[in-house]
Amino acid sequence: MRPLDWLVLSGTLAAIVSYGLYKGRGSDTMNKYLLAGRTMPWYAMALSIMATQASAITFISTTGQAYVDGMRFVQFYFGMPIAMVILCATAVPLFHRANVYTAYEFLEKRFDAKTRALASVVFLIQRGLAVGLSLYAPAIVLAVIFGWPDRITTLVMGALITIYTVTGGIKAVTWTDVQQMIIILCGLVVAFIMIVHMLPRDVSFSDALYLAGATGKLNAVDLKFDLNNRYNLWSGLIGGCFLALSYFGCDQSQVQRYLTGKSIAQSKLSLLFTAMAKIPMQFLILFVGAMVFVFFLFERPPLLFQSVAMHELESPGLQARYAPIGAEFSQAFERRKQAVIALAEARRVHADGKRAALIGQYRAAQQEINAARAQGVKLYVSAGGEKAFNDTNYIFLSFVTRYLPAGIVGLLIAVIFAAAMSSSSGEVNSLATVTVIDVYKRHIRPAATDRHYLWVSRLATAFWASYAVFFAQYAKKLGSLIEAVNLLGSLFYGSLLGVFVLAFWFRRVSGTGAFIGMLVGEAAIFAAYWFTGISFLWYNVIGCVVVIVTGVVISSLWPADRVARPA
Amino acid sequence: MATDRAHIADEPPPFLGTWRRVYTGVLIYLACLIVVFYVFTRIFS
Repeated sequence: MRPLDWLVLSGTLAAIVSYGLYKGRGSDTMNKYLLAGRTMPWYAMALSIMATQASAITFISTTGQAYVDGMRFVQFYFGMPIAMVILCATAVPLFHRANVYTAYEFLEKRFDAKTRALASVVFLIQRGLAVGLSLYAPAIVLAVIFGWPDRITTLVMGALITIYTVTGGIKAVTWTDVQQMIIILCGLVVAFIMIVHMLPRDVSFSDALYLAGATGKLNAVDLKFDLNNRYNLWSGLIGGCFLALSYFGCDQSQVQRYLTGKSIAQSKLSLLFTAMAKIPMQFLILFVGAMVFVFFLFERPPLLFQSVAMHELESPGLQARYAPIGAEFSQAFERRKQAVIALAEARRVHADGKRAALIGQYRAAQQEINAARAQGVKLYVSAGGEKAFNDTNYIFLSFVTRYLPAGIVGLLIAVIFAAAMSSSSGEVNSLATVTVIDVYKRHIRPAATDRHYLWVSRLATAFWASYAVFFAQYAKKLGSLIEAVNLLGSLFYGSLLGVFVLAFWFRRVSGTGAFIGMLVGEAAIFAAYWFTGISFLWYNVIGCVVVIVTGVVISSLWPADRVARPA
Repeated sequence: MATDRAHIADEPPPFLGTWRRVYTGVLIYLACLIVVFYVFTRIFS
């Protein structure tokens, strides 16, 4: 980081906090603090929804994923527009008319208090485990790249979001999300332009596209149906639709965004805009990753992108064992480079007959590169390095810090901060809302003044922000449990979705049916996780279907507490 | 805590006349995106 980078980074962060404080003025009632007085326009809600969803690690890791695995991850988002249409036609009008602060409040109106309590607890556990990681994950990457202490980074990010989230409530969160999303989009476009600009002079954009495709990085759509293949058209359309239904229909961190809308129409427009903008945005992020791969076809990449691991390999203790691996890697890189240069030339002169042989040469060299990397990882692990070593998250930032000019690096680090802060502030705000509305106001102090609830909301926001920072401080000690914590989130969505589907469409289902259905649905998801190899995208489908079937069956057997669907 | 919102109207969309047409438009857009990405994959694979 050079002085100009620090200037850009600190200027951007100061602008975010100042803007949040400015836009959050006047949040002096509980309704204004938690729902912005229902005054938000569609574009602010849409950008806020996108910003909350796009965490820093999504930005860092998605580019790396395209480098390693190509663009097939984009299919993960294909189900989102379908889900958004379903939610606009059902959940949005129902939530607005039910006049609720939280999605779970709606469940009591439709079913009973125990179903609301169970759903709230599930949300608090799931989102409470995730909130610290939104701060910790980018901090640990920045710690490795720049040597910044991760505790200080999480503390700075946590303190910044606390300032505007506690004072301005959801209005401050939403408007800073808008600003952060604009910064993220600008950063993406600048990164893309810079990468294309930095390709060798004799490699045109058209050549870069051809090479990315020939090396298997532009594999955006896979039509083959396979339950164990995480990303194909069908898992994206069906599994992705269920995941998006769960996330945007049942997760308070998203529901709260569109509950702030001026009208039902504004809330619907925000979701539909998100549906239309999200896929091209993810495509762009992945495309940036694919172009980084093309860049490294001509520029020798490090054997491992994680600089701490590389320093370890190059240290005196391992140098002798690393040297032959490094030499093998360099030779394989040169062979790969010659193959792709010849491949681009063959394309230009339409020498189609040569292409197959050259692609064969490329693949052979790539296999040698992969083998050298695997040996490097093995050596690093044998020297006491992390057993589940994976440097995918370091690829993009490694490129940024090594090759991009001063100012642009600062902008892209600001993008990482903006993405982390937008996700965390939304999560903190929604956790505070559920704590106040579904726990405190419902079970502890049901009849206090509005001013009292406003202050409790502020305290709850400060508590969850502090909790996020505290959790992030100790996340390192969780080690591989972090992966489990991330997975834990996906284990709960299916049953939450199931209970909302029952609430929206199954008028005869009772509170007891929904409650038992949710418990059985959860058991089914955990059984699928423990006993099958089914990809996690399908857990939402399984959980949702089991909750619906169980809820319907239980309600048919014991129909006593049947209630009518709210208007 | 609130005014009665149980009967608030669902306004028409600002374009295309009805929400049904807007939803159809979004789904057609999705289909077009998938086709474009598929063609993109086929051309460059």
